Amino acid sequence: MRWVDWYGDGSLYVLDVALACCALEFDAASAAAAAPLPTLDEQADVVVVISGTVTDRLAPAVAAIVDGCEQQAGRRPTVISFGACATSGGPYWDSYAVTKGIDQLVAVDVYIPGCPPPPEALSAVLDRVAGRVPL
Amino acid sequence: MSSGEPSHRWIRLIEPACTSCMICARECPTWCINIDSHTEPVEGPAPGSRGRTQHVLDSFAIDWSLCMYCGICVEECPFDALEWVSDASPSGSSPSALVEEMVQPQSN
Amino acid sequence: MNEVAPEGWLAAVEKLKADGFAYFDWLGCVDEIGRLDCFRVVLVVRNLAQGAEARMLSCLLPRDDPRIDTVGGVFAGAAWHEREAAELFGVEFIGGERRRLLLSPDFEGTPLRKDEVLAARTGMNWPGAKEPGESEFSPSRRRLVPPGVPDPAVWGDRDESLTSPEPTEVVESAVGGRPRRRRT
Repeated sequence: MRWVDWYGDGSLYVLDVALACCALEFDAASAAAAAPLPTLDEQADVVVVISGTVTDRLAPAVAAIVDGCEQQAGRRPTVISFGACATSGGPYWDSYAVTKGIDQLVAVDVYIPGCPPPPEALSAVLDRVAGRVPL
Repeated sequence: MSSGEPSHRWIRLIEPACTSCMICARECPTWCINIDSHTEPVEGPAPGSRGRTQHVLDSFAIDWSLCMYCGICVEECPFDALEWVSDASPSGSSPSALVEEMVQPQSN
Repeated sequence: MNEVAPEGWLAAVEKLKADGFAYFDWLGCVDEIGRLDCFRVVLVVRNLAQGAEARMLSCLLPRDDPRIDTVGGVFAGAAWHEREAAELFGVEFIGGERRRLLLSPDFEGTPLRKDEVLAARTGMNWPGAKEPGESEFSPSRRRLVPPGVPDPAVWGDRDESLTSPEPTEVVESAVGGRPRRRRT
């Protein structure tokens, strides 16, 4: 789980809740990102990305992370469910141990399908969230 | 992977090739393919010959929130009615937005 | 693979460690239903001084009362493996830690037993149950059953005049077999 300064200029902070394989695609998408600055600009966008399968055991902790972000940032972060598992339980929807999508506990703003989604899918969504439309 | 092969990012239905045989829906490990169809009578080749029926596809929907992009449906289709697409399947603001209906609406 | 009786399990593990197999690799459980009415607990240890040579021990436990000594006193690392086997199969490791490892504290059941049906699929309409030319799920006629789901005649809404299904029948039906039904 780590914060990145997505564009390297303090305008978009992204937290990856790295639960499973989708986290590797987040790493690929965030290769150009920088380590975060110590203080959060009031104008900056704050995003939490849930990457991977949410097990019933871990789901309350993920919800607590999103709540903690909201408290620290002073505003509700944009929540992205990255990949099939975070969106709906994905191929493990029938499992006895898997939460059928993190939106069972947390309000999700953008659902990205894929197993895993390509890194560009995340970059494109973050560009939209940040108000930067690619040329 | 040869350069001509599309990346496995999205799956498209070639509607004229689909016969509603249900094989893809049955083979899908995540149950993400939903097919509705009905039967229609077809005239026999000669006047007075026994009529036959054919299946007409009404709805072919894939729920991309469940799909794991394994490609079993593409492999198993006996009529090559499913193909890989290199563009990523689109994101959405709700799970229902990720259910894609692939049968084109009829225009009269 | 060396077969050990439950009474001799702890001593066998201690002896292996004393013989130089001091590296604990893993401990697991297998549900032998359909072949034997047992759980098989398997343990692998290695001798790192001898090119990681492995030794495997196996112990058969009765399925209706699976109890075996913990080896957590011999290999501390075995505790997590035993906790996993205990919560997923219902095996009791005597003297071992009883805390859940992977499942939620309020979870009920022993999901890796083969006669425990994955209920999520039995409750959902399988899209593949429709026949070509159908748009609705016809409840009256006998429908195809998807892989992994037992036939409703065996598990679920079955004929009450039949006896309860044996665990072996549930397992056989879930993998596509057709157990014969008996009437009371």
